[in-house]
Amino acid sequence: MKKYGLMAALLALTVAAAGCGDNNTNDTAGNTNDNANANDNDAALADNEDVNEEDITSLGDEDADVELSFWLFGATGYPELAEEYIEENPNVSITFQEIEMGDHHNNLFTALSAGSGAPDLAAIEVSELDSYKSAEDRFVNLYDFGAEDIKDDYLDWVWENGESVEGDFLFGLPTDIGPTVMFYRTDVFEEAGLPSEPEEVEELISTWDEYREVAQTILDETGKPMADNPETVFNAKRDQAPQAYFNENDELILDDEPYVREAFFETSEMIEDGYVDNFGMWTPEWGGGMADGDFATLLAPAWMQGVIKGNAPDATEWRVAAMPEGGGNWGGSYVTIPEQSEFQQEAYDFMTWLLAPEQQLKAFENMGLFPSTPEVYDMPEFQDYSDEYFGGQNTAEVFAQSALEGEHVHKGPQYGDVNSEILAGLDNVFDGFDPEEEWEDVLNRVEQRTSR
Amino acid sequence: MAELQRDTRNSNDKRDSIQTNSNQEPKKPKKRSFSQRQRNMASGYMFISPFYLLFAVFGVFPILFSFYLAFFRWDGLGDMEFVGFNNFNIIFNDPLFWKSLYNTIMIGLMGTAPQLLAAILLAFALNSVLIRFKSVFRLAIFLPYVTSIVAVAIVFSVIFSNQDSGLVNTVLGVFGIDPITWTRSEWGTKAAIATMIFWRWVGYNTIIYLAGMQSIPNDLYEAAKIDGATLRQQIWHITIPMLKPFIIFTVFTATIGALQIFAEPHIFQGRAGRPEGMSVVLYLYRDAFGSNFFGTASATAIVLFFIIIIFSSLNLYFANRIGRSKKVGVK
Repeated sequence: MKKYGLMAALLALTVAAAGCGDNNTNDTAGNTNDNANANDNDAALADNEDVNEEDITSLGDEDADVELSFWLFGATGYPELAEEYIEENPNVSITFQEIEMGDHHNNLFTALSAGSGAPDLAAIEVSELDSYKSAEDRFVNLYDFGAEDIKDDYLDWVWENGESVEGDFLFGLPTDIGPTVMFYRTDVFEEAGLPSEPEEVEELISTWDEYREVAQTILDETGKPMADNPETVFNAKRDQAPQAYFNENDELILDDEPYVREAFFETSEMIEDGYVDNFGMWTPEWGGGMADGDFATLLAPAWMQGVIKGNAPDATEWRVAAMPEGGGNWGGSYVTIPEQSEFQQEAYDFMTWLLAPEQQLKAFENMGLFPSTPEVYDMPEFQDYSDEYFGGQNTAEVFAQSALEGEHVHKGPQYGDVNSEILAGLDNVFDGFDPEEEWEDVLNRVEQRTSR
Repeated sequence: MAELQRDTRNSNDKRDSIQTNSNQEPKKPKKRSFSQRQRNMASGYMFISPFYLLFAVFGVFPILFSFYLAFFRWDGLGDMEFVGFNNFNIIFNDPLFWKSLYNTIMIGLMGTAPQLLAAILLAFALNSVLIRFKSVFRLAIFLPYVTSIVAVAIVFSVIFSNQDSGLVNTVLGVFGIDPITWTRSEWGTKAAIATMIFWRWVGYNTIIYLAGMQSIPNDLYEAAKIDGATLRQQIWHITIPMLKPFIIFTVFTATIGALQIFAEPHIFQGRAGRPEGMSVVLYLYRDAFGSNFFGTASATAIVLFFIIIIFSSLNLYFANRIGRSKKVGVK
């Protein structure tokens, strides 16, 4: 009898534990997401550490006829921008909710999945966007509101990222983008006896072969690595390619197309030659390396300038040059209107105002969000731009050049999964494993992970 | 715990009784009056209902729903597609699932076995008459338990940094050992995670053992001393057997906790995770919230559910057997 009692107790305990476990898991998942995503933020809306807490801003009259809600992540400065819109449109009030990027996407996903609770306007990060594209019925097709008319204001490749594969459904309007460039340290270049002015560096390093030659010189002369970690080097090469991990039917093309494999093996070679170090992205060591000049270059998108300034506020040695063999894009966001919205037309009106070239210029001046509207690149404010931190250089021009070289790349819903498997493989190469075997392992793991 | 189950069952009766209550009372007040006993029962159930209602929504429903989901293919937004046992098929054929199970068990063993042993010794030391400032030590040893797992994991990530200049690597360097890539090497990762678990939980178990030891009558020790028992004999023949229920409890909770390791590897190895530190819960979390494969994630959760039942049963079986031989002597 006692045995049965114990067994019953055991069962009850297991059930209870499983129940608690569920709650705990959710709890910690929420907590850790904060951290993990702050550590691994691909956002162009550069994650600002001050914005980790939930931040709600309400604009306009409480009794306004049209009450819009807008979910955002990162530091965009949009609430301040929108004050002007509210003044012109007193019948509209807008509530902004700005939270951390991972939480933002979790909340939005849950609200869309549940069918209630979603806002009138929601930002979605570009690498997340494709996982929402299977759910056209949960979003408003912006083409139904006449978005075709403003298409020419935006860069073609950026616009295409916001469309369905067939191109007849527009999920969102682009906010900012992340054109990739090469940040470098003048002091390391000088120590190695190399020229250090941006024009000279661009001439010195216009191809990846030249990048590796310079890396060898710097390694010989200063003992310092050329790049911070495998991830940035691989991303730089990946983002230059016209194709990523999937084709437009979402079939895996990792081993069928040359681009990703080349990027993987060239990065591996650079690792084996000692040009690439092990400062993991978003780690304290990485930030410290930026401040101390522990690596010569940082291949990164425009929004990385905020990260560099944050980590190395006193450094005067950083400059910006064009990416060898042309720019790509890393990051950026889109603003969408969930189908649940009560005020779809009003939301659309506000959104087209907010993301028009004039406002994009202000967002760039205020928060450094790089515009997705090429018209801005020709504006005098942009042409005469100079950044004291980068020695008075017109960095905007370098970013703009890279943005104009961009191409539309189809990412697919499992993009992030494949990416993390490849990066894990590159880390193993850094730890001394054979690149060929690692590539095979990556293919196996990706196959397992995407076919379910 | 058996009470809990009984209560859950009763809570259904309760809801029925409340319903009858509210359905009938407004219509015909006092016509059909309830006995005092019934009314007491109803109000009693009403007082405890908030917990059970919340538990039903946030506890029972998700559990049942994940049983349901395990047989479907679902990305969270689109339609659910019935796939039978295919989700189980997928995870059982995934080497990473088996790897995650192996990791969970290894990390569990490395984190909990030494920890329970250390907890008994610490509790014995804290319980002995030789130590002064007992409350200070008790507080100090319990403190790690109140810290947040996330904070622990972040601090330990700095201690177990991959860089040569990391704290542990520096210390190892003094002894002439090469620096270890803690977040990426097979045993380095496990050792680091096991250390976190050890550090955080050893105080909790120590306090439980201490409470158990204080319930052991001193006469037993005195009698043993008169008979000339050594310290080791005292621990082995008095403390351990008398602590049996406490040991069973801690082994239980530690096993279940170990099988649910999540936050430590999740933070230590980063959001994407790596095979060396992938636990079963992390595996299913990644499937569900990283890749939106809710079907396979639910299937994994169910497999984990049965694994926990099996391990707990084994625990119970062995814990009972170990105690029994001693008990015969005591009786």
